[in-house]
Amino acid sequence: MARIGVFVCHCGENISATVDCKKVAEIISQLKGVVHSVDYKYMCSDPGQTLIKEAIRTKNLTGIVVAACSPRMHEPTFRKACAEAGLNPYLCEMANLREHCSWVHEKNDSTTEKAIDIVRTLVEKVKKNNALQPIRVPITKTALVIGGGIGGIQAALDIANAGHQVILLERSPSIGGHMAQLSETFPTLDCSQCILTPRMVEAAQHPNITLYTFAELESLEGFIGNFKAKIRKKSKSIDEKLCTGCGVCTLKCPNKKIPNEFDANIGFRSAIYVPFPQAVPNKPVIDKENCTYYKTGKCKVCEKVCPTQAIRFDKPDEIVEHHIGAIVIATGFDIKHTDFFPEYGYGLHKDIIDGLQFERLASASGPTLGAIKRLSDGKEPKTVVFIACAGSRDEAKGIEYCSKICCMYTAKHAMLYKHKVHDGIAYVFYMDIRAAGKMYDEFVRRAIEQDKVRYIRGRVSTIYEKNGKLIVKGADTLLNAMPVEIEADMVVLATAGIANKGAEELAQKLHISYDSHKFFAEAHPKLRPVETNTAGIFLAGACQTPKDIPETVAQASGAAAKVCGLFSQNELTREPIIAAVNRNSCVGCFLCQNVCPYQAIEKEAVKNREGKILKNIAKINEGLCQGCGTCVALCRSKSIDIYGYSNDQVFEEVYALLNEF
Amino acid sequence: MEKLQKKSAELLQNKTVEMIIGYENGCNFNKIRASFISVPEMTNKLIFNEKCTQNLAVYLTKPEIKKMGKIAVVAPIFTMRTILALASENQISDENVLVLGFSQNNELLDFQTLNDVEKYLSQIEFPTLKEKMKLEELEKMTLEEREQFWKKELSKCVKCFACRAACPLCYCLRCAVESNQPQWVEVTSSPLGNFEWHILRAMHLAGRCTGCGNCATACPLNIPLDLLNSKMAKTMKEQFNFISGKSAKQESALSTFNNNDKENFIL
Repeated sequence: MARIGVFVCHCGENISATVDCKKVAEIISQLKGVVHSVDYKYMCSDPGQTLIKEAIRTKNLTGIVVAACSPRMHEPTFRKACAEAGLNPYLCEMANLREHCSWVHEKNDSTTEKAIDIVRTLVEKVKKNNALQPIRVPITKTALVIGGGIGGIQAALDIANAGHQVILLERSPSIGGHMAQLSETFPTLDCSQCILTPRMVEAAQHPNITLYTFAELESLEGFIGNFKAKIRKKSKSIDEKLCTGCGVCTLKCPNKKIPNEFDANIGFRSAIYVPFPQAVPNKPVIDKENCTYYKTGKCKVCEKVCPTQAIRFDKPDEIVEHHIGAIVIATGFDIKHTDFFPEYGYGLHKDIIDGLQFERLASASGPTLGAIKRLSDGKEPKTVVFIACAGSRDEAKGIEYCSKICCMYTAKHAMLYKHKVHDGIAYVFYMDIRAAGKMYDEFVRRAIEQDKVRYIRGRVSTIYEKNGKLIVKGADTLLNAMPVEIEADMVVLATAGIANKGAEELAQKLHISYDSHKFFAEAHPKLRPVETNTAGIFLAGACQTPKDIPETVAQASGAAAKVCGLFSQNELTREPIIAAVNRNSCVGCFLCQNVCPYQAIEKEAVKNREGKILKNIAKINEGLCQGCGTCVALCRSKSIDIYGYSNDQVFEEVYALLNEF
Repeated sequence: MEKLQKKSAELLQNKTVEMIIGYENGCNFNKIRASFISVPEMTNKLIFNEKCTQNLAVYLTKPEIKKMGKIAVVAPIFTMRTILALASENQISDENVLVLGFSQNNELLDFQTLNDVEKYLSQIEFPTLKEKMKLEELEKMTLEEREQFWKKELSKCVKCFACRAACPLCYCLRCAVESNQPQWVEVTSSPLGNFEWHILRAMHLAGRCTGCGNCATACPLNIPLDLLNSKMAKTMKEQFNFISGKSAKQESALSTFNNNDKENFIL
């Protein structure tokens, strides 16, 4: 016979202001099976919990209902109290009187009635509850880091240094990401590659890091602590063990006029190429789309000149499988290109470039070896206009957010230009200068005061070409929107930072959520900024929202700390709210297998003693099942049920509501 | 007919199959009944004509039949469809069923595997015009008229479950109505309980019913139960372009998602 205890909480005044808690406790005490029913100001407080524990012990309760706030808030608290009093924690249910009743209704008799109904349903449910035991699952202590930019490298190094195995995945031929493309970094103007490349080498040589470049995630199954990742290692068309990275093939390749992605398409590379001299690994790949041999079946020059015979034209893609415990996503960002802006000439004018292209122009390893030159005629520009917020903070362009890094890098660009072209004039059109950060505002002031960069607060409405000059028309809003017209030799657009190519596809593979701009969504904007809503998957860097280098590195270390925290345990305990199959009545139609979003349903052969298969039935993988209940809804013979939310329990709840009290 | 008898005898003699499920004349010469033949000498009882309307696929999923091994079954077109639907739900496979199919002109077809059945059926268009005609009448009614129609029809039900027994797709070992923890459907025959049962069955057959009409034939009170199922079949066709029993590899429409699925039913 059920002996149920009910504890009605006032939640200070949160509940008692509109619900007559005393009356609720009184009426509920008359229910069949309820042997104890009280109300108290704060059930979650220490004396409140003692009240519960005492009642469980003295009245020998077989189940309790705490009528208080949302179970998300305090279910763990009360279940723990139950366990301490010797009652199985899963025999404790919460009736949500706060969010579901008192907060959303006025003080009224019917509000109290509704509160009674809510408690009533839970009393009926808890009568049918069974004692459950938490599920323990082992943790695979290997992390997968997706993306080999500075964020991914940092996270991989931190996790590897803590003694765990890391698989670092990069889709391009070399790690390094955007940071490798930058010339100097704000606010110190130190050389980007000089601080990055040691980290790249460290990551590649770390004994705990397995590096896969030119590789992508094919699929991901499983759950926190027990993911199974399939990785596609795209064919590089070379034998990496034999290749010494001498570079003869890249020199001899006859097809040299391919726009170099690393140089933001302003320089050229060959069909067999190493993206940049400091690439890690420093071994070439063949670009199959542009290689003469792959296109026409003739050439093979690289094969002929290779001193170690390392070229393998017929090498197929390889799929490798790894068991993973946690994932850090650091896939970075992309930028809008100049063709996005009709008012700035649709990207048709060669001397209107984007920020990354300017980085490559200013970089000592870039196509101009660091000399600022016009792309159209190779002349040194004497007047350069930098336009901040190109696309960002512009609802009409569909990008209402601030790309965050542009103010700083625009100041840096203007400074670098002034340092290289002493007689040049740099203009910056800006909306607001957002320079919050250590030494950031000082940096912008330096550009304005020391380097005499001319800042104009206003936007540029149009740019057109006239006699080889670019006419930039804008307004100076600090001078009463006075029209400004500048004859420029070059225009640099600080274009908006956007989600990286393939972000949506990756999010779907990983089952994580993303926002309308395809940036990956964090679990909580303030308190859980590093985690995704999928347990065991963490975020680092600009794949979440545009970020600068220090922020990305900080978040990467944060994600690494989360991973290390997870890996510090040998086992995970999880809620036993999972599905179970009635092996007697299951007929094995496997409709459930199709519909399961977690691939948690397997086939099980029921055999007799001679080993003959009698029938095939569904079997739930306890580790994978998340207890969503989709299979329960679909099962025609009602052969699947969820522990803790069984058909029987839910039925009792509904019945309680339908039957007048 | 001789062809069928000869082939059946051969199959039993070669031990290709353990039993033939076909049709034979009943005691009353106007009636046809199912025949279960496991010795070659008895195969001369087998007949086939247009009166053979029972869907023999209903026996294929019975545990006592499954236990016997491979079974050959006489199958007009509607039975072939059912067999494919059962195969798509992992209930039967080439290992335990051989189809003795008959064409629309009552000619014996030569099928080795379910794949052959699938190929043959792909040339045939279903559902039949007859079904559509019946539905149109129902659809012409107003909502109230239709409610009254079904209230009247379903009030006749005595919950004998003959519809379930005759239906080849009602193969669950324990039906949802028999589950009593919780009791999903009222046990006694009452207006509400009858509605519950028939709507539950129609829902369970949505996207699965192959339109043999055996439920309506079996009903001792002549409730036009097949109308419920053909209405569901029509909806499935319109909403998801889904026709059941087309292939043994067909995935259930209700458990799969496809980007082209209409979602206009979401309010």
